[in-house]
Amino acid sequence: MREKKRPIGRLIMILAIVFFYLPIVFMIVFSFNDSRSLTSFTGFSLRWYERMWNDSEMMESLYTTIIVAVLATVISTVVGTISAIGLSKSRRIVQDVILQINDFPIMNPEIVTAIGLMLFFITIGVERGFMTMLLAHIAFCIPYVILSVMPKIRSLDPNLADAAMDLGATPWQALTKVIVPQIKVGIFSGALIAFTMSFDDFIISYFVTGRGVKNLSIMVYTMSKRVNPSINAISTLVVLFITLVLVAVNVIPIIRDRKLKREAGDIPTQINV
Amino acid sequence: MKRFSQLAAPYIVWAVIMLLLPMLLIVLYAFTDTGNEIMTFRFTLENFVKFFTDPDFLLVLWRSIKIALKTTVICVLLGYPIAYFIAFSPDRMRNMLILAITLPTWINMLVRTYAWIGLLSEGGIFSQILGLLGFEETELLYTEGAVLLGMVYNFIPFMILQINTSLSKMDRSLMEASNDLGADGIQTFLRVTLPLSLPGVVSGISLVFLPAVSSFSIPKLLGGGQFFLIGNVIENQFITVGEWNFGSSISLIMALIMMGTMYVIRRLDAYAAGGRKEGR
Amino acid sequence: MEEKALIQFRGLVMEFDGQTVLKNVDLDIHENEFVTLLGPSGCGKTTLLRILGGFLKPIEGKVYFDGVDISDVPPHKRELNTVFQKYALFPHMNVYENIAFGLKIRKMSKDVIEQKVMKMLKLIGLEGFERKNVTLLSGGQQQRVAIARALVNEPKVLLLDEPLGALDLKLRKEMQYELKRIQQEVGITFIYVTHDQEEALTMSDTIVVMKAGEIQQIGSPQDIYNEPVNRYVADFVGESNIIPGNMLRDRLVRFDDTDFECVDAGFAPNEPVDVVLRPEDIDIVSPSEGLLTGEVESVLFKGMHYEVVVETVPGTSVTVNMRVIKNNEVTSGDGKEKISANDFYVDIEDVKLLDDKEIIARADAQAWLPETDEFISINRIEYDLKEEEGEYPVTFFTSAGTMIQRTIFVVNQPFIRNVRANEAVSAFNFFKTVDEITESQALDTDLKTWANAQGWKLSDEDQSVDISVDYDFEPEKIREGVYKVTFSTTGREFKIRTTDYVEEETEVGLRFNPEDIHVMRRMEA
Repeated sequence: MREKKRPIGRLIMILAIVFFYLPIVFMIVFSFNDSRSLTSFTGFSLRWYERMWNDSEMMESLYTTIIVAVLATVISTVVGTISAIGLSKSRRIVQDVILQINDFPIMNPEIVTAIGLMLFFITIGVERGFMTMLLAHIAFCIPYVILSVMPKIRSLDPNLADAAMDLGATPWQALTKVIVPQIKVGIFSGALIAFTMSFDDFIISYFVTGRGVKNLSIMVYTMSKRVNPSINAISTLVVLFITLVLVAVNVIPIIRDRKLKREAGDIPTQINV
Repeated sequence: MKRFSQLAAPYIVWAVIMLLLPMLLIVLYAFTDTGNEIMTFRFTLENFVKFFTDPDFLLVLWRSIKIALKTTVICVLLGYPIAYFIAFSPDRMRNMLILAITLPTWINMLVRTYAWIGLLSEGGIFSQILGLLGFEETELLYTEGAVLLGMVYNFIPFMILQINTSLSKMDRSLMEASNDLGADGIQTFLRVTLPLSLPGVVSGISLVFLPAVSSFSIPKLLGGGQFFLIGNVIENQFITVGEWNFGSSISLIMALIMMGTMYVIRRLDAYAAGGRKEGR
Repeated sequence: MEEKALIQFRGLVMEFDGQTVLKNVDLDIHENEFVTLLGPSGCGKTTLLRILGGFLKPIEGKVYFDGVDISDVPPHKRELNTVFQKYALFPHMNVYENIAFGLKIRKMSKDVIEQKVMKMLKLIGLEGFERKNVTLLSGGQQQRVAIARALVNEPKVLLLDEPLGALDLKLRKEMQYELKRIQQEVGITFIYVTHDQEEALTMSDTIVVMKAGEIQQIGSPQDIYNEPVNRYVADFVGESNIIPGNMLRDRLVRFDDTDFECVDAGFAPNEPVDVVLRPEDIDIVSPSEGLLTGEVESVLFKGMHYEVVVETVPGTSVTVNMRVIKNNEVTSGDGKEKISANDFYVDIEDVKLLDDKEIIARADAQAWLPETDEFISINRIEYDLKEEEGEYPVTFFTSAGTMIQRTIFVVNQPFIRNVRANEAVSAFNFFKTVDEITESQALDTDLKTWANAQGWKLSDEDQSVDISVDYDFEPEKIREGVYKVTFSTTGREFKIRTTDYVEEETEVGLRFNPEDIHVMRRMEA
């Protein structure tokens, strides 16, 4: 390609970035607004953060969101990884059918998954609330974990576990010392997807919750009719948090690689240990 | 190792109960009468008849498809140039731009959509700009335009990323070959680059169209009560009215429409992927 | 070469990321020539081709086509076409559409396009393949389509960027002839980039040998092969014996301590030179008739001929004593641990390099539990070494206190210098147990390690010389005692291609004619 400055492309790109970040910047700016107005910035203040802090409904929704996201991520990552390993060794037909079912929450519109789960909880007569929300989150998070772990397992040498056991490892050791380290990239990205899916979820939570249990999305949805700049404040915190998570996720591997490279330089020659 | 296959057993049970059973329940409810007692259900097609004979519902369905189509077209038209620019940027720049496009998608969709309310509301930045440009004060929020904007905003990153992927992995020497054979920049784009990036466009379309059809939080937030889509109807049936059977049947109709769309898109995809079957 | 130059490169300089890939390249290419740019990867040959194609812009310099400066002409307006490395066939078009691409761009009428495409399909022998999906064709067929797609535009020059690289050997040979035939049939200039010297010799009218962004030599295949200008070209093109020598005066060169008549002239008196003798130009004769004599090292049957290696200057060798001892292990008082180690020799100069790890390694100290055969670590060693010749005790301990004492012999080991061959070799006496020798999986390598055998060039100590090992005991049946082990370098060898068989290890003479000796200027380092 010949190098050109491509001013038009540059302009398009700048406009696109403005478009993507304008609402976010706007929200952050107005979370510090002195007045209730969403249109004119009258002065800097932290009053909406204060209001947010004292609003028990908001703080509770934040708390619910975080607890559900953490629990759903941990549980679905562990279960998803183990299940994916199990499935990869299952008979072809079992694997195909289960993976097909596994695809439901990913392929179906969220509202369909949501209604299905809602009907399910009603039919079996469970009272809807925190537990049903958590169960539903685990239900739609596991498929994403399996989806991101499965390709890594498939690319492994199928004899790896056998080789480990041949060398004297127990099945558990073969799993934790040989297989899991090889697929940890997949596990990690699965966990990340699960976390953000759960953290951001609105539709499914909205249908399966009850007894006034709300997560952040539901709270924003139900409060959106009234002008309430506290929402901007709490949203700003969410943006900050997600950005930190993403930066960490993107930066930590780079730092680790550098460190590994540095260490690789002076690995001592091993002598009969 | 066969012994590892036992590890999947609990999930098989779970998947059947938590993923398969709920779908079956929707079908069951859609074809049965009012009444929540499992034991008393009665087969009926009435829910479907009700939907297809009420012009209001049909109108909402048509409106949903229309706005999803508009969203999709806008996403292709705006997303392609952006993806093109990203794909042909130097490596480091490309990674940064992709990160910049991806970052907002990780932020809660409700939060991002909510932010638009302030921007579009009366006296907000957009109406001020329009005022300065000499337009009359018009309502921006709670219009079809606002909903469309919200949808494009939320879904266009998927389109950009898909097109960018197919452009980035395209062999650069194909474009050089086209140049070499006498085609100028525009001819090369039309005859080589564009056709080869179509699979990306097609998968982008499915990632935009499907969520747009079923969306109900965006029309609620940016359309106010005024702009009702099929998702809102379903929500109402379940949350407000409590007509679960009717709600289930609408969900089923929507799911079928989407499956049909997926099928058409898959066919398009096969075609776009250069499925020439002549050679052997 | 009276024809005028069709393409002229003048003063081309190219850099990528601050790295120079072309250094002031001047080159003329004539009409109807088959020109090959030959060199290893990274020599700038592909860059040169891409500059000509218009895909790269040189930092400095001009490209003239038919006398016109085309430096600023974009690729689609240049009257030349390219066959890309991996063909770059358009996957969304069939064979016909691929070939017709350039013609359609030129808005030719349908029937003209059809005529031309059909003619091309005939030229490349793919009639009947028009509607085939290009991605389903074999490598050779894709190759032909790529050539047809370029040629159908009737360019004045066809550029080919390693076009045969992706094909297997047999197909590559076939395509070499095919390409030459096509070039002769269409009668245009082909500029061909390759790193394969055989391909270059087979097809080209002119070969341009490149190295690190510079042209080394331009000439016909015969010139390049027979009269390489320097060691680099001689080494890259064909197999050769390259020997350092001195040009005593015109038509008299000295190498291998012998003066030879030759046909080369124009060097300074006594100028250091490199001498090339091609393997097929040397005859094997009886020692009395030979200009040089030597011992036959190896004879390899190559189908058409034998490849004989004759050593004219013997290598350098060092013989050391290997003391084989019976048992070197010590068992702890309670019988639960065993520990073993060897005495070893070390050069005075190397004493300062010894640390705990190095001593454990050189003494091959090990500790283990005899019950489970599990290795345990040696966690402490005691020694007191001085940089003086002598014997020094060293003691190895395990954490349980099991210990073994051994001796380090600090010696002043002389190395063997061989000025004639410009090399030196050194090795040390060493101690080993019977078990260690019988259990060795790669004895030659182990012997070199145990004896710390090394070879290097006298002119440059950092340049190591390969060493081979020789001994006359049977490793499987070895007993305690002292054995001789010899480490030697290969010496000066000549490779000879001959159809007559000779026995290995016989004394032979080598003969060659003055005109077979080719003297080259030394390359600057």
